[in-house]
Amino acid sequence: MPAMSQPEDATDLENYEFKWGKKRGLGGKRKEVRFYESFTFDGVDYSLYDCVYLYKEGEPEPYIGKLMKIWEQPDHKKKIKVLWFFRPIEILNYIGDNMTVHDKEIFLASGEGVGLANVNPLEVIAGKCNVVCTSEDPRNPQPSNEELEMADYIFHRTFDVGNYKISDKMDDKVGGIEVRFIFNKKEVQGSSNIPKHVAEQIKENGRVVVGDEASKSFSKQNSVPIENVNAVDTPTCSVAKGDAQLELPWANEEPLSGEKAAPGVVTEAKESAPSGVRQEKVLKRFKANYEKDGKGSDIPSQVEDKERPISAKGVGELDRPSKKAKLDTDTKLEEQQAYLSSLLATGKERSGNISQKLAVDSEDDGVKVSLKADSASEDKSKSKLVKESVVQDKGHSKKVKPDGKTTKISNGVLPKAASAHPPEKDIKTDARLLEVTRRPNADRSKWFKALPWEERMKTAHEQETLVLLQNLDPAYTSAEIEDIIWHGFRENCTAKVVQHTSASSPHSGQAFVIFKTREAAEMAIRKLDEGCLMLPNGRPLIGSRVNPVLQRKRSAFVGHLFIDKVRLQMPREDMKRAISTSHCSQPNTIEYEMAMEWRLLQTRVDIWWKELYKQQVVELRKVENNLKFK
Amino acid sequence: MGTPAHKEYAEFQEKVKRTVYVDNLSPQITEAVLKTALEQFGNVRDVQFIPNYTEANEIPQCALVEMETAKLAKAIIMEMTDYPFMLGGMPRPVRARAAEVEMFSDRPIKPGRKIQIRWMDPKDPDFEVAKKLKHLTKKHVAEASLLLKHQLEEEKKLAYSQAENLEVNYKKYEMIDNLIIDGTFRRLSSKYNLELQDS
Repeated sequence: MPAMSQPEDATDLENYEFKWGKKRGLGGKRKEVRFYESFTFDGVDYSLYDCVYLYKEGEPEPYIGKLMKIWEQPDHKKKIKVLWFFRPIEILNYIGDNMTVHDKEIFLASGEGVGLANVNPLEVIAGKCNVVCTSEDPRNPQPSNEELEMADYIFHRTFDVGNYKISDKMDDKVGGIEVRFIFNKKEVQGSSNIPKHVAEQIKENGRVVVGDEASKSFSKQNSVPIENVNAVDTPTCSVAKGDAQLELPWANEEPLSGEKAAPGVVTEAKESAPSGVRQEKVLKRFKANYEKDGKGSDIPSQVEDKERPISAKGVGELDRPSKKAKLDTDTKLEEQQAYLSSLLATGKERSGNISQKLAVDSEDDGVKVSLKADSASEDKSKSKLVKESVVQDKGHSKKVKPDGKTTKISNGVLPKAASAHPPEKDIKTDARLLEVTRRPNADRSKWFKALPWEERMKTAHEQETLVLLQNLDPAYTSAEIEDIIWHGFRENCTAKVVQHTSASSPHSGQAFVIFKTREAAEMAIRKLDEGCLMLPNGRPLIGSRVNPVLQRKRSAFVGHLFIDKVRLQMPREDMKRAISTSHCSQPNTIEYEMAMEWRLLQTRVDIWWKELYKQQVVELRKVENNLKFK
Repeated sequence: MGTPAHKEYAEFQEKVKRTVYVDNLSPQITEAVLKTALEQFGNVRDVQFIPNYTEANEIPQCALVEMETAKLAKAIIMEMTDYPFMLGGMPRPVRARAAEVEMFSDRPIKPGRKIQIRWMDPKDPDFEVAKKLKHLTKKHVAEASLLLKHQLEEEKKLAYSQAENLEVNYKKYEMIDNLIIDGTFRRLSSKYNLELQDS
């Protein structure tokens, strides 16, 4: 094994810049050896457990090793002990036939024996090597895709130098190093593996909208209405939560999504105060807005917009009332009338009853009724409900039609509600509602079977609520994208990632997002276009309207040949018994030869794609490097 | 770490390993056809076509086929790589590869990932860079689309030339057949005094 041989003493390297870093302690028999944790060599900072290239003359490729120990001897010779990595080519004989080796993969030496580690003069270090551990061991902080992309090498297996076995299990100690130093470093340690900007971003937390905080803020907003409408509308009732929430959520929402939206959000983002404080500010702004509303400036005009009452409620975080509204619209106009009266009668009724009554009134859907009962019974189930209502909204989005009457009502009620808005109360309530936005989507499907995505997308496209997001991290899931949209725009949506294929860009993901309203979709597109929503790792989000390809004519598939007279193809019925139409082609036939031509083309095309994406990454990095704050 | 999220993700990763990504599928291939075809190798758990909503061009179908075990999935990929596999027609072979996480639409969130977003101030010096990045991304999408178009053209070309070849070959064989059938072949061989082994 070539790696065993110790790299030769480097010659005169005195003129290189060198500085010791943090001391670790003394060692040796007479305490004359100084151990260090870090040093600077030739302008590069090294610390213990970094991976480095070690250069040996005459070898085409440098060795790769991990720094196990760094020390200075009494004679001022600087030494390092290095745990070796093996390149696959070095241990080729021990790699099994059916073992797939990633083209950047290397193997860590383990066990005991020659070739595990060596002591070398420090000067043989040729540079830092970014080795990322991809071990699925739960102790290993999993690398992100970006990190993988940036890695010079990856490893997840060890090669035992004693018994020549490759293993993907990590013991507690490998080569005498504790395993936690073998795995990727945690972010806090600010290691070289992790892009700096991540750390920077963490520091700038105030500026960045962090998921949890924002979700808190949402719950706060959401709970605002509870008190104040009570106060105004239903003085005798103490539990009229369901109703109370009806108007405010969207009223709440307006300052953000309305015309003022863009500056509003920007300022919010700029505020570097911790979220709680920020939240208060936001609330104050809301309050201000409400006061304006009282004078009839902003909201009434929006109320005139027919779709608003329903959709905006939906947007307002889909609390129970929104569902009620939906129920009503689902049923008939008379029902709406009933809804009106029930709304007015809130004072006499307990909220739970109302929602139940409403649900029964509608008699629309068994599931819904049960849902209602659920909602009335327990407060905790609220979070679940929110989720469910999301589904419901989607399910009924088609049916929801603007309705003049509801508009009027909310129009009438709103100013009252707004005027009595006590901002302090919400802060109290929020603690209880904290959990609401955690959205384990799995719960949804238990209750409702959502319409097929394709259909929803079609409807959304017709209603112009469909937006295509680009430049996402391909690793994001649909749920994460929904969260991003929520935090970025205070809008609810349904998202679905565009599934990758072999020709998809490995560094850029796309997703379809269905917003609740056309206005919301337009707002999002405009804001993404004019402003800039930065995702981690220097990805500005792009949003655009799309025309999804839903019904495609099935034109002929190229590459399947038929001879007119003979009809090589099986009759249609046989297609179902696919065995007769699927087979592995045998060499020595025309078919095989032609298949090989296809293979050739397929491989060539693969290379094109790979090259294209490689080139694109290079271009991206070039521009990204100009970013100061990533 | 035994949290449910970790467990769910681990299960999902297992599923990815069990899954074969198949492409170059004719649009006539249905779920049932694909399932039966791959059941020759072993038990198929699930077949899912990857829908194509973004690409206006006609592209061959691709699908994710979940097999019973990861080993089986691997074996299928090997088999289909070693031998061109015909499904629903020939000679364009179906291609199989290991599935990747991003190919699944219903994947769980990777535990421990934090996403941080921020709105950029237009005065921020990075704003212009971000603008450029956006532009670049759009350009890249367009490039990909162009390459796809090129790929489709190449495929068409190959199919066309193969069709021509096949026809020529077919005509040749047909001619030989006819010669054998109408006896010309035998007459010629006796005239030139040549042994005929086949007829």
